Amino acid sequence: MALLEVDDLRTYFKTREGEVHAVDGVSFTLEERKTLGIVGESGCGKSVTVLSIMGLVQSPGRVVSGSVRFEGQELTTMKPRRLEDIRGDRIAMVFQDPMTSLNPTLTIGTQVTETLRRHRDLSRQQARTRAIELLQEVHIPNAAERLDDYPHRYSGGMRQRVMIAIAIACNPKLLIADEPTTALDVTVQAGILDLLEELRDEHDMAMIIITHNMGVVAETADDIAVMYAGQIVEQATALDLFDRPEHPYTEALLGALPKLEGDARHARLVTIPGRPPDLLIPPDACRFAPRCGYAGMDDCAIVPPELREIRPGHWVRSAHPTSERAAEALVTR
Amino acid sequence: MVQPLRDRRAGFEETLLRTAEESGWEAGTLRRASLYRDAIHRFTRNRAAIVAAIAFSIIFVYVWITPWLSSQDPYALDFSKAYLSPSWDHPFGTDQFGRDLFVRTALGGRVSIGIGFAATIAIMGVGILYGALSGFLGGWIDNALMRFLDALYGLPYLPFAIITLAIFGTVNFWTMVVALTIASWFTTARVMRGQIITLKENDYVRAAHAVGARWHRVLFRHLLPNTLGVIIIFVFLELPGVVLGEAFLSFIGLGINPPKASWGTLAQEGYGEYQAHPYMIIIPSLAIAWLILSAFFVADGLRDALDPQARKNF
Repeated sequence: MALLEVDDLRTYFKTREGEVHAVDGVSFTLEERKTLGIVGESGCGKSVTVLSIMGLVQSPGRVVSGSVRFEGQELTTMKPRRLEDIRGDRIAMVFQDPMTSLNPTLTIGTQVTETLRRHRDLSRQQARTRAIELLQEVHIPNAAERLDDYPHRYSGGMRQRVMIAIAIACNPKLLIADEPTTALDVTVQAGILDLLEELRDEHDMAMIIITHNMGVVAETADDIAVMYAGQIVEQATALDLFDRPEHPYTEALLGALPKLEGDARHARLVTIPGRPPDLLIPPDACRFAPRCGYAGMDDCAIVPPELREIRPGHWVRSAHPTSERAAEALVTR
Repeated sequence: MVQPLRDRRAGFEETLLRTAEESGWEAGTLRRASLYRDAIHRFTRNRAAIVAAIAFSIIFVYVWITPWLSSQDPYALDFSKAYLSPSWDHPFGTDQFGRDLFVRTALGGRVSIGIGFAATIAIMGVGILYGALSGFLGGWIDNALMRFLDALYGLPYLPFAIITLAIFGTVNFWTMVVALTIASWFTTARVMRGQIITLKENDYVRAAHAVGARWHRVLFRHLLPNTLGVIIIFVFLELPGVVLGEAFLSFIGLGINPPKASWGTLAQEGYGEYQAHPYMIIIPSLAIAWLILSAFFVADGLRDALDPQARKNF
């Protein structure tokens, strides 16, 4: 049994104009101690997917169907009270912006011990000792002294370390990091990623890393899921995905990475033309078709393609995966 | 083997942090620069606010010290001394029963300020709880609570207080507090609701939910402390209103029962004599004005001190 099984998850937001299909049939499984990277551009449903897993989607959003099974327990139908017991204890989350994710009116110590005292039967003193250990574990210098400081005395990178310390306080089995480095300086980003990897190995955690930066997941993740317009369009092991991207969108994303070597260094940056579809009325066809260079060769702009396993462990939702195009090219030649 | 670039960068970051720590300026002057310390600093720079704070303290001291120090009996009737104008023996003169008004004004001030503070605290308690719950729970509960509040808002101030006092039958310190609280907690509730609604969208609230914090912890531990600045300002804005409300009710005859007095009842007694003995109405009125004005300027100073962003807009 996998640690986390997400099956056909759908989360819709009710708005004045209609229902926005933010997450529209996402399925994946995550084994223990594995890392899944979820990649996609802004607004493709990455964050809503993990918030749905955590049961933190706020009104007017709602998980309308699908199931989330964590350690064999169904989370979507679980009583809020029991879900609270799991959150922070078995599943923990690190948010995008460390500058706003810590309460400015509470000391760092209070906020680190909050999780511990909520889920573990610790005395104030025990929790404090443990909090110091946790801060040391995320490499905050002078942890014991810094415990009574307020968040405004911490830099962005240190605050993110504190957020990570809070997340791992109860040894969760699953750590969800929602764009953990986006709001940080480039120099600090690498440190945070290293820390996450280090802690994942030490604490035997599984991890979901959300990002729109391919570089972030390239080294960290075992598997990568590429999301587009509320759906997973391609999922494979990190190596396979980077070596042999199948979906035209993934291909375009990788093509859009700036090249640092050769003549391409002086060329214009490659972009993907067009914009993602309006999720209010998702097109009843391939959602990438309007931006896809290969659409129109058949009926993929009319019939929505299914997610299919193009080779073992490599799933793709497109009528024109790269390898098939290559094969066709051979045949026609 | 060459060390990967990002490892070196991370190491560099930590070295920087450590150097800053070790150099000692972290531990020294900046150590206790908290929001409230900064606010106190800004407050002391504000001359109007400091003057107001001193004026506020003066009236406080006068009201509490005078009855202990004075040899005058504030309740003894002595008609031979009735209607004495202010003099060295009776700085504020005497009333129609020959009672010393310097002491009676101080005693009246105790009642007025006491009612003012008690009612303000009660108003804060009710208003904060109601508004915070309404804003935090949201949805139809919020809607229902706010529409109820709108209905109460529509009714004028006076009938509320009169009806409450009529229900109790007598007017003493505590019934007055209850009447004033019932008549004036609405605004606090509305302001609190607005504050909570703004604050609950913050990431740290979501983060608190994400570590499994229960709703009451999120509300009372994470949200309410963040409204403290607004609450402090509101206390000093609400206080003058309540004191004025009490004076007003006393003036129209719904005041605290004799022989006790508040500034309102003293002013009302003086009103009957204002042509022959104007000091009898002028002094309690001045006392009320003094308290209200100083509280307002303190509130103003506090607002500037606790919310430096807002001040830049002026």
